[in-house]
Amino acid sequence: MKADVLVIGGGIQGCATAFHLARQGVSVIVVEKDYAGRHASGVNAGGVRLLGRDMAEVPLSKTSMEMWQTLDDDLGHDTGFRRHSLINIAVDDADLGALQVREDKMRAAGYTHERIIDRSELMDRLPHVNPDCVGGVISDLDGYAIPYKATAAFRRAAEDLGAQVVESEEVLGLRRIGNVWLAQGRQHRYEAETVVNCAGAWADRIALLIGDNVPLSHAAPMLMITARMPHFAKPVVGAVSRQLSFKQFENGTVLIGGGAKGFADRANNRTRLDYSKLAAACRTTAEFFPIMHKASINRMWAGLEAYMPDNLPVLGPAVNAARAFHAFGFSAHGFQMAPVVGQVLADLVTGGHSRFNLSPFRIDRFDRKVL
Amino acid sequence: MQAFDCAIVGAGPAGMCAAIELARAGVQVAVLDRAPRAGGQIYRSAANSPVPDVAALGADYAAGAALISEFEQVNLTHFTGADAWHLGDDGRILFSHEGNTQELRCREMLLCPGAMERPMPIPGWTLPGVMTAGAAQVMLKSDAIVAEGAIFAGSGPLLYLIVAQYLRLGVPVTALVDTTPRQHYLDAAPHLLRALRHSGQLRKGLALLREIRTSGVAIHSVAERLKVVGDNKAEGLRFVAAGRQHEITADTVFLHHGVQPNLNMTRAMDLDHQWNSEQMCWQVSADDFGQSSIEHVSVAGDGAGIVGADGARAEGRLAALNILRRLGHLSRAERDQKAVKDLSVLSSIKSFRRFIDCLYRPTDALRLPRDPETLVCRCEEQSLDDLRKGFDQGAQDPNTLKALTRCGMGPCQGRQCGHVVAGLLAQWRDEHPETIGYYRLRSPQRLLTLDELSRYHTVQVEAAE
Repeated sequence: MKADVLVIGGGIQGCATAFHLARQGVSVIVVEKDYAGRHASGVNAGGVRLLGRDMAEVPLSKTSMEMWQTLDDDLGHDTGFRRHSLINIAVDDADLGALQVREDKMRAAGYTHERIIDRSELMDRLPHVNPDCVGGVISDLDGYAIPYKATAAFRRAAEDLGAQVVESEEVLGLRRIGNVWLAQGRQHRYEAETVVNCAGAWADRIALLIGDNVPLSHAAPMLMITARMPHFAKPVVGAVSRQLSFKQFENGTVLIGGGAKGFADRANNRTRLDYSKLAAACRTTAEFFPIMHKASINRMWAGLEAYMPDNLPVLGPAVNAARAFHAFGFSAHGFQMAPVVGQVLADLVTGGHSRFNLSPFRIDRFDRKVL
Repeated sequence: MQAFDCAIVGAGPAGMCAAIELARAGVQVAVLDRAPRAGGQIYRSAANSPVPDVAALGADYAAGAALISEFEQVNLTHFTGADAWHLGDDGRILFSHEGNTQELRCREMLLCPGAMERPMPIPGWTLPGVMTAGAAQVMLKSDAIVAEGAIFAGSGPLLYLIVAQYLRLGVPVTALVDTTPRQHYLDAAPHLLRALRHSGQLRKGLALLREIRTSGVAIHSVAERLKVVGDNKAEGLRFVAAGRQHEITADTVFLHHGVQPNLNMTRAMDLDHQWNSEQMCWQVSADDFGQSSIEHVSVAGDGAGIVGADGARAEGRLAALNILRRLGHLSRAERDQKAVKDLSVLSSIKSFRRFIDCLYRPTDALRLPRDPETLVCRCEEQSLDDLRKGFDQGAQDPNTLKALTRCGMGPCQGRQCGHVVAGLLAQWRDEHPETIGYYRLRSPQRLLTLDELSRYHTVQVEAAE
């Protein structure tokens, strides 16, 4: 099979890249070793979050957030995005101090999308919050989307424009011969001028085939979802200094995250849960929101996610090969970035540059470190 | 000591028989069961029945009381009211018990999750007033509650048993609407001779049918195109039989067309499963001793493939013998020698089953919905039409269809709709169920509150004497 671009990995980054490329008239094939959205993209917490981003990520994340607001129309498919704001709760003066430091830094950089709120505004916005909480910080543009739906929306939009998605297709070999990349999949052989590595928790293996080494690790962040409950929280909720994270969807179910990690069994393509850590997440959630004490957990799961040592993604060209690009290692906060990442990669592939500063995301940024 | 030698999940006939065998050999056994007393579904409350005339429930049920009493006399740790919601292939079991979460470790695990009724998604099957024959049994056995003037519709031994029990207790039954197709009698005939090896069961079955026939209750045979009528609740049943349409009025309609293994535990553990084309359902792949694809995990009873209560007893003992071998209490030769009788019993029961499975094989018309409006996933309210739309959008296997439509994501975790969804996909793709597969399931296998999970304890095992 032949195309201008071969995207490896049918997660949301790969599907978004295919969409943006196809929109520019580039022929693109996405190969996915399982099915599109099988891992982190389809099973994450669905947070569409600009709040609290690393300064290096803010420009990308901000643009992406603007793209989310009209994404359903642009794709012609439903992502389930709801702009309901995100609030990180402060429990004490130390938290408020940390928020103030952050706000000063943001204002100095010219950003105004995060705003500190006091206790009474917190209580107005989250009437069920534990009254001991002292305030928080809000980002109004934030919200959530439905992960599998959003990934499928990008995929279908890409397919509508002529992109091909080949599932159950693991890349076993990848070589650059002359001016083309030759990829050997389990089912087919591929030939493309350009290859894009969006292979998520498996991206270090693809990077190696391309010629780049990367210190990628993987982990299994755990999630729980409750049965339907009466509506009690519209904003997405987090905490400044505690492992708290949840959101209530329109159907009343509450998704509880918080970052506790299970066991990532990458070799067997699966995860195991650490139930004692989930028990701690339950305690924290009910402590912040007493209404949650009697909530019923319906499902628990974890996805395989790729992490970089500095929790920043790899985004940009390969350093040891021509016509190869990377986008992976989002360290559990890549879902929101997908719209802009697809755009950035399409720009790199077609024009060779991006309007964003991608130097913090270079794949070789750890090579230069000396002991 | 930190771990039990063996943990058994489910205290029905299989679990009880295995536990007795293991405990008598001096093994440290933990038994977990949701009910306040052992018995499982088949012997539910058999040891303390609220039904005054318990003989009316039949001799098989009465025999359960003796087994329960034997089980209660052996030395083991029995957690009653214990709802296991996570079974790990590392030998860890998490269960809810008295409002807490308990973690228990074991070297060997025996799963006896039992059977559940096959859903019968005919139009109107989700209306209030429509229940399963099994629900009628539970109400009768647990609380001596009956529904007067009900219609019983479908086919299979359990349906006839509950009708006979009602009649013996003097509870009026409006009608028995039997859906067994005429062709099935012809198909089953060749298996009759081998079924005679287990002639006791056959005689019991025939006596049951004779009892119903001579009672005077209205029986409609070879019924087709069933539909429960009513707007907000069941008001009756419409069907075609003997060449014309019937409509019978009743407040309660009990449906039944056989049982299938309850897969949630074994699927969530990711054990290998295979399609049983005679019973039209998935079951765990296991050897003669119930050892699964994970060697320290065994299965026994209906949860491992439908064998009935007597078969479950034999399978429980066989699994126990193999576990004793694995724990070093028996040599392979000793195990095989002790297993001879139960293996032979099981073989004759299976010959009988083949006849029953053929005679009461679920028909596609009752197994799979045909009316676009009919709900398939009750938890997430997904109709046949919703699923078909998801399929047409490209969700062609159970997991992508689940991700797209949410079917199977509700509190029952697909227990109700799993086989139906897989059956529909097999039909739409015109492929074998093995190719289609099944939902990927996860813990917890029941709803558990945040409070229960947050109170997390580890069961300490007392040192062996």
